[in-house]
Amino acid sequence: MKIKAKIKGDIIKVKAMAKHIMLPYKAAKAKGVEANFITNWKATIANKPVFEVSSSQFLSKNPILKYKLDNKIVGAKAGDDITMVWVDKLGKTKTETKKIK
Amino acid sequence: MKRRNFLSLGAIALATAVSPTIMMAKDYRKSNLSAWEGDKSHKVADAIKELYGTADTIKEGVTLNIPKVAANGAAIPVKFSSSIKAKSVAVLQNKNPESLVAVFTVFDGTIIDNSLKMKMQESGTITVIVEGTDGKLYEDSKSLEVALGGCEG
Repeated sequence: MKIKAKIKGDIIKVKAMAKHIMLPYKAAKAKGVEANFITNWKATIANKPVFEVSSSQFLSKNPILKYKLDNKIVGAKAGDDITMVWVDKLGKTKTETKKIK
Repeated sequence: MKRRNFLSLGAIALATAVSPTIMMAKDYRKSNLSAWEGDKSHKVADAIKELYGTADTIKEGVTLNIPKVAANGAAIPVKFSSSIKAKSVAVLQNKNPESLVAVFTVFDGTIIDNSLKMKMQESGTITVIVEGTDGKLYEDSKSLEVALGGCEG
């Protein structure tokens, strides 16, 4: 997973891209393999949850998510870590930690 | 509905009513699976109902930004924003086999200004629902044309 997190004024902008096939049921059936897609994404800063999304098979392949956080509430500084985790339908997880710029 | 289910629903409702300010992380696929898969997941209104208990929405306060024509249905950029104090945001569409695309949890520090890329198999309508902390649902929908379908289901 690629993460870019940047503080701009009072806002933290985060962009995350996961490498995942995001295979929906029909396409999987045609291929004869099991459908698989990311079902849940989470992000934490200093062990505090700041972002979560449950997703379905209709996110694009190698999905990209962008979100914004209010840094007046989150209170992060440049150099702090942001950790993101995704879980897919077959139970595989991937964790990535990146420093906020 | 079985009595036990009904009781636990009541308990959940009570818990959320008592502590509205505590933002809990929630996996909507686990808590509302019927909105994602199965009989009730095919129609947008049904999925909203499974997710939030009602399909009545107010069409204001949410801005959805999508292209009018998507050249490639495999990666349609979807942008939405809202300044409503919210609990969650759901993205749905009406042409794929199941309606729900994603449900975002809103935390204390969340600014509802997201973008994502999604698949759509043909021209249709994308809907964004914002679940306000006041319990009402706010909606914006826009239709688009998909030149090349990008989703085989």
